[in-house]
Amino acid sequence: MPKVGLDGMAAVDGRGAPGGSPGPVAPALKIALAGNPNAGKTTLFNALTGSHHKVGNYPGVTVEKREGRCSSGGVDFQVFDLPGIYSLTAYSMDEVVARDFILDEGPDLVVDVMDSTNLERHLYLCMQFQELGIPVVAALNMMDEAAAVGISIDSLSLGRLLGIPFVKTVGTKGLGTDELLAVVASQARGECGGTGRQVDYGAELEAWLGRVEALIALDPGFGARYPTRWLAVKLLEKDANAALRLGGHSRRPEILDLVAQAIAWIEKHFGRDAEVVVSEQRYAYIHGAVAETVRISAARGRPVTEAVDRILMDRFLGLPLFLAILWAVFQATFTIGGIPQAWLEGLFQALAALAARVIPEGLFRLLVVNGIIGGVGAVFSFVPLVVILFLCLAVLEDLGYMSRAAFLTDRFLHAFGLHGQSFLPMMLGFGCSVPAIMGARTLKSRRDRIATIVAIPFMSCGAKLPVYVLMAGAFFPRRPGNAVMLVYLVGIALALLTALLFKRTVLRGDPTPFVMELPPYRVPTLRGLMWHVWEKTSQYMRKMGTIILAMATLVWAMTTFPLLPGDASGRAPSPEKALANSAAGRIGIFLEPALRPMGMNWKLAVATITGFAAKEVVVSTLGILYHGAPDAATGPAGRGSLRSALAASPEFSPFLAFVLMLATLVFPPCVAALATIKAEIGWRWLGFVILYQLALGWLICTGIYQFAGAHGPAILGGGQ
Amino acid sequence: MAIQMQVSDLVPGQHFKVLRMSLSKEVGKRLVDMGFTEGRRGVVIRRGLIGGPMHVRILGYDLLIRRSEAAGIEVEPLAEGDA
Repeated sequence: MPKVGLDGMAAVDGRGAPGGSPGPVAPALKIALAGNPNAGKTTLFNALTGSHHKVGNYPGVTVEKREGRCSSGGVDFQVFDLPGIYSLTAYSMDEVVARDFILDEGPDLVVDVMDSTNLERHLYLCMQFQELGIPVVAALNMMDEAAAVGISIDSLSLGRLLGIPFVKTVGTKGLGTDELLAVVASQARGECGGTGRQVDYGAELEAWLGRVEALIALDPGFGARYPTRWLAVKLLEKDANAALRLGGHSRRPEILDLVAQAIAWIEKHFGRDAEVVVSEQRYAYIHGAVAETVRISAARGRPVTEAVDRILMDRFLGLPLFLAILWAVFQATFTIGGIPQAWLEGLFQALAALAARVIPEGLFRLLVVNGIIGGVGAVFSFVPLVVILFLCLAVLEDLGYMSRAAFLTDRFLHAFGLHGQSFLPMMLGFGCSVPAIMGARTLKSRRDRIATIVAIPFMSCGAKLPVYVLMAGAFFPRRPGNAVMLVYLVGIALALLTALLFKRTVLRGDPTPFVMELPPYRVPTLRGLMWHVWEKTSQYMRKMGTIILAMATLVWAMTTFPLLPGDASGRAPSPEKALANSAAGRIGIFLEPALRPMGMNWKLAVATITGFAAKEVVVSTLGILYHGAPDAATGPAGRGSLRSALAASPEFSPFLAFVLMLATLVFPPCVAALATIKAEIGWRWLGFVILYQLALGWLICTGIYQFAGAHGPAILGGGQ
Repeated sequence: MAIQMQVSDLVPGQHFKVLRMSLSKEVGKRLVDMGFTEGRRGVVIRRGLIGGPMHVRILGYDLLIRRSEAAGIEVEPLAEGDA
């Protein structure tokens, strides 16, 4: 870890940075990284533990707690990265995760990670941690940004005033991490001592709090579980969860009675809701401390962010620019990605030719050339496209553009019963449905979450892209990008209509509020971007080496066995007949009647079904089915690409290719996505989603194919 | 007597002082937690197109809220600046 210091790095309660060696063997200190959303918790977590979790410049990137380990000065730390919260009165599901961890898992210490540019609001949460009675260390993160906007913080005095040690950090550069851990270790050992300082809610509230605390303290077993002060404050704030936690208290009715009395008095006296009064007093206390210790130079503001937003968030320019940015991302993906993709295709063809030459004739050669190289190679060549798509999304997210997009699209999404906050999960769906479905946790209401989750599978994921590109390249050679874009747009339309349908029927209810922080633009760090892309790409490559390899082998075996014996004259059976006789062929033929109306023969039925393992497998299955059959005239080495093989196949038409693209889009997603849906919203919804997508997929594909048939070759013809 | 308006009525560039929330308890509390306490000064930065969300600056940070929520924040418009 870098040993670079900032001025006044550690301010431990006025006693300076702690030293000394830790005691004898101690168990790892359990520390929780908590704080407001988008304060840089994950960045700091990565800097501390050396791991590389996804971060983004968007509130709510972390939706589940993560664990890592590190050690410093002979002390071991078990670090938990929690989702961001605004208050200990939880509001959305990711906030519940964070709150319950702190209350129920009993960390030794909470590190409150704060955005130094936004201190007052971050201290609001910090004061609630302090009330919990757990040792708190505050990390004044993003100090570099605070300096840039002209904020200087006297962390020593602030720490003294509030009774909490403050450490200045810059998570993106790993600055201050050693100092932070040193302060954490000494604070957890109790070396800094409790100052007993806490928020002063003013004479009236304090009087009531004192009476409630005294009553809670009457049950001696109870105070050990929850700090009485915290419970008393939360009860005045009408926190339902706090009232629930009071459940086991022997004097519960008395306490609730007193609380009701207190609330009634406060509301009469202040003329406002009690929970509002509590918040205001807490903010007033913080404001007093901040006024004394934080200096803001005159040149406050973020001129760059403001200037850029004047254009990108403009009432009229904003939306067209948003669409232009999306269009540019797709163009970059296809035009730039197409170049290395062609190289990789060539490489795999050469590899197949080489394998055909060195491996003696027989089943093994067929397995290697047609099964493994044909299957995996067909998918592998799409890696560059996926990398570029992920890189573009990562740049937009780290820049902070996604929240602008939420601003621009909320009105529109709202019309479909969705939410500006549905936007990021849905965009993540372009990468992979699994993190996208989990990302929906930032939505507050369960109805909104479910509506977003059922819509996400229609956002074409990175695994569907290879299928689209293959089909578009083969059958719409003049404008493949437009054909792919069209399928993406169809997907978006279906996502919106699905959300609308669900919100109008099974998920009916009042619209939920949209309250979202807008972060300033931040220049993405190269390291951050590399990790984004590496994480996704390595995931994709792992899939290649595992499920896609396994599926390619399985599909090859199922399309090869049982072998058809040669006829009487000893000639091999035709590839067509051999395939029809194989296990996969039999399954396909069995299902063909159901898929016939959408124009699919049994081979396409097989391809579509194998897509449930992973959508890329559709491509490898097509490779094996249409490309793998050994061609007696030229041999495997003489074959062209799968694209040209498909284009030349008499079984295909551009319209059927389009139907296959839609089938890949609309039919239920891969097992990984289905498992995530189950984990997030349960079996019942999973079953519902599967049936809905099967029915919708069948209807759409059949409708289009039948329409094409009825309107004849006029629209069928041409490679447009 | 000061004029009373809602944030949703304000035009971009208009400064305001928070008076009270007239929202459901849950949303009102969330906004108070995020800094909309009585007497706090803020400014409307921009309004989204055709009823889109509002971009508001308060407590030194920027926030997006829907019109329906903005309509529940009672404020006193201020003539100029965070004076």
